[in-house]
Amino acid sequence: MKTLLERFVRLFSSFGLSCVLLILLALLTWLGTLEQVNTGLFEVQKKYFESFFLVHQAGPLSIPLPGANLVMCVLALNLLVGGILRMRRGAATAGVLVVHLGISLLLVSGFVKTYFSNEGHLTLFEGQRSNSYQSYYRWEISIARPLGGGNVHELLVPQEDFVDATGARPVTLVSDELPFDLEIRHYMRNCRVMPKGPMFEVTVPVVDGFFLQADALAKEAEHNVAGAYATAVLPDGTRTEGILWGLDDAPWTVSVDGADWTVDLRHEQYPMPFSVELDVFTKENHPRTNMPSKFSSDVTVLEGGSSRPVKIQMNEPLRDQGLVLYQASWGPSNARPGDPLFSTLSVVRNPADQFPLYACIVIAFGMVMHFSRRLFRYMRAEARR
Amino acid sequence: MTNSPAARAARLLLALVPLTLLATPAPAQESAPARPAWSPEVVELAESLPVQDGGRIKPLRTQASFTLLRLSGRRSVRLPSGERLSATEWLLDVLLYPELADTYPVFLVQNAEVVEAIAVSREGKKVRDRYSFEELRPRIDRLFQLAGEYHRIEEKDRTTVQQQVFLLAMRVQEYLGLSGHLEFARESFPVRPGGEISAALDGADVATPSLILEHLGPLLVLRDRLSAEAGDGAEMQALSEMLVRTSESLSRSENLALLPPAVDEPPRADWHSPVDVFVNALQGSGADAEAIEDLAGFERLAANRDDPAAFESSLRDLHGRLVGRAEARGEYEKVDLELLYYRSKILNYSHYGFVLAFFLTAFLWLRPRSKVLYGGTSLTVLVSTVLLIGTITLRCMIRGRPPVSTLYETVLFVTAVAALIAMFTEAVNRRRIAISVAALVGVIGLFIANGYEMLDKKDTMPSLVAVLDTNFWLATHVTAITTGYSAGMLAAVLASVYLVTKAFGVRRSDPTFHHSLGRMVYGVLCFALIFSTVGTILGGIWANDSWGRFWGWDPKENGALLIVLSQLVILHARMGGYLREHGLCMATAFGGTVIAFSWWGVNLLGVGLHSYGFTSGIHDALWTYYGLQWAVVGLGAYTWLRERGRARDGRTDRSRSVNATGERPEALPGQGSHA
Repeated sequence: MKTLLERFVRLFSSFGLSCVLLILLALLTWLGTLEQVNTGLFEVQKKYFESFFLVHQAGPLSIPLPGANLVMCVLALNLLVGGILRMRRGAATAGVLVVHLGISLLLVSGFVKTYFSNEGHLTLFEGQRSNSYQSYYRWEISIARPLGGGNVHELLVPQEDFVDATGARPVTLVSDELPFDLEIRHYMRNCRVMPKGPMFEVTVPVVDGFFLQADALAKEAEHNVAGAYATAVLPDGTRTEGILWGLDDAPWTVSVDGADWTVDLRHEQYPMPFSVELDVFTKENHPRTNMPSKFSSDVTVLEGGSSRPVKIQMNEPLRDQGLVLYQASWGPSNARPGDPLFSTLSVVRNPADQFPLYACIVIAFGMVMHFSRRLFRYMRAEARR
Repeated sequence: MTNSPAARAARLLLALVPLTLLATPAPAQESAPARPAWSPEVVELAESLPVQDGGRIKPLRTQASFTLLRLSGRRSVRLPSGERLSATEWLLDVLLYPELADTYPVFLVQNAEVVEAIAVSREGKKVRDRYSFEELRPRIDRLFQLAGEYHRIEEKDRTTVQQQVFLLAMRVQEYLGLSGHLEFARESFPVRPGGEISAALDGADVATPSLILEHLGPLLVLRDRLSAEAGDGAEMQALSEMLVRTSESLSRSENLALLPPAVDEPPRADWHSPVDVFVNALQGSGADAEAIEDLAGFERLAANRDDPAAFESSLRDLHGRLVGRAEARGEYEKVDLELLYYRSKILNYSHYGFVLAFFLTAFLWLRPRSKVLYGGTSLTVLVSTVLLIGTITLRCMIRGRPPVSTLYETVLFVTAVAALIAMFTEAVNRRRIAISVAALVGVIGLFIANGYEMLDKKDTMPSLVAVLDTNFWLATHVTAITTGYSAGMLAAVLASVYLVTKAFGVRRSDPTFHHSLGRMVYGVLCFALIFSTVGTILGGIWANDSWGRFWGWDPKENGALLIVLSQLVILHARMGGYLREHGLCMATAFGGTVIAFSWWGVNLLGVGLHSYGFTSGIHDALWTYYGLQWAVVGLGAYTWLRERGRARDGRTDRSRSVNATGERPEALPGQGSHA
């Protein structure tokens, strides 16, 4: 009689499970690829590739499927148990073992990237400098009070703390460092501020004649602009209403006991251990065409009292202290000759940045080892024939 | 509004419509004038003129060839008289004898409804036929009007006829850009001797545009003075007319940038068309003496067009000037190489070779023991493959790039690598199967390459977008992934041969035939997996260096992943005993459609970062391939079921004797578990 553990090990080391999981992953990849025609990549990624379960809509049919996250977790287990721990050892399988180790490294790099990295962008006009970058997708609420001398006392609220706020179920942000409580309601992932006219009614609050109108999510997720209603509840029970919107020119201000607190909904910001100043941005086209042939940003990296010039261009990023800065885009797109241009540098902090390269070398080595052995055996057999 | 090349072209088209109508020459006379035949020397000189187009310097032959391909769907023109003109000869006629070229049937209309939409007579024409500019001219205003209306409709929402009307208008616009290019060179203005204009032109009694540009400063001063003084009215009128007509004719010379900049201009600078010379002169940067002499050279060409000897001499002079300057700038060396590439027709010969090898294969299968046929087939495949590799090498030298940087080049590379793998396999097992498949993939691959070129109708050596400007990643990732495509497709073809021959009982008498074929499929599939996997991961590493992320679930990335996953499934299922020889071949044949989806199919989705590979017009061909490949898989399934049924019947009969002998069916080692 087999024990439960034996059954478990047998199941998780089986080729059958490998095949099922690989087919499921291929199916999800295929569905997620086709879905991108109608839905933006960001949403597809969330639904198919970063989920544990999903429901795929095939016309009128709703098909429940495991998400790629779940499939890859089980596949990793299958690889570990069947492809590494319990695999038959010997010259015949040495190459396969190396390949499996390489794939494990690739999976580890994916795990590290998912849970320990962040990414954003740094957009600068020539002559501008910055020591932080901001997320493309994530939002945060900054509550700040100037302290004088250019210093501020700032509290940051990550988006997980307020994205679920609705009209019926507001989220209240409370802190000992704050002289008021902050209620967030009607959080919207993509919206715009509109003036309330006399000829129509709205189902959301109107603040100083303006309201937030929810929009459909943009296909390109970085084009979404979040918004929410905020209420500052002062210690004496006074309530002050305001609108927070991602594209506001100036933050909402709350005055308490003579001190002004600014409340700002903005893309999440991350500090860098150095500053980057854009010296020159260069964009070249192929002769007599509008096809870009080259983008590059000549920047100065400043840290402490030292500075050094660096050129960042397509395929040649700047790697420094765990951060990687890439030439991502430029603008304004409607700039005329002579207009000032800005350069957008993507910034990624990924501790597993180079893991895929190591994995690729290991996998290639293992495959060549395994398949060349089989090839030579085949050639010997044919030569004997 | 989108900013696709088509949209840009459309905007240009709409912007130019009024100009076009204004500048359309008067209807030709009843009988178009004859012209002397272009001598081979003249054609050779003309086609080796360098021109800057699409961001690179190329021979005029290339420009003429692809322009004619876009207009006519062919690389030559067949006249009603039966005479056939090469693309360069056609371009010479368009430039120098536009009134004659207007009568050539070069505008391919795929659907009669297109000409009916603009009310052009179809008398004597087939449903799909070619029309001359002369035939379209009476309704050209209607053509442009409709094109303007259809341009406002999203391309994907246009009907076939609307799209074809739009394309026809663009082609006519392109043609007009060429036929008016040397209009300035045919202009000349008599000048009253002793008059002020003559004085401003240093005593010349005839003014040509080049002379006018040379003396533009004094002429403009004279115009301003005459205008202010309101003096000699005839002189003022003559001067105004001269300047206006020069300006108008030069404004039509925008399309061919044949004039290299000065030698001391920076590398990769813009080359000039005649209108640029005029604009530069007007903008006060001064009349460039060298460029003006170039324009004078074109004027001499136009003046001598009916005198073959004088024309050749003028062309030789102009050729010497333009090529000399391009050489001095270091911009001509690839032009000669490109001419060699096209003149040698090396790719055509490779294709003919594969076709010949394919026919030899047919005889070889009838007489498999014939050493002469075997040697002949192998040699033909070898020579054809060498020619194909020569083609790829020449392209690498011309472009200064690794073998694959465009979708077109993937086809050449995939074909060459597939043929090489098949030849290697044949060298190992000498069963006449792989060499036959090499000939087959050669024929199909080069047919696809040719078909793609005819569909796309664009230069196959275009400039690359910024992100692709890296020879390291093109040489590693792109080469590896394309090798993976190649081996995967070869495995699919071999698997299809296995399934089809088995279904129809080919070589039934030779029990080793299909087993050997099955082992080939497995071997090639393993080779494919190595390159698909390494290529896919290298692609991720490139993306990490370009866009800051290893994997972004972009359609092209997903396509590559699908190939790797499908091949992993097949090999794991084989190891687990779920697939045996026949099943492996069915799955591998199906895998061909996965590769086709990744290679071509995702480009049709119209989304993603790999938009530089997008193309249109391949939808039907792709679905035809899917259909054929799935039919082969279906045939394999039918054969499997049929054999299973027979085996079941046989087993029932055999069971008594098995019990007697004690034999057991063969089982695969390690079946069903990694352990």
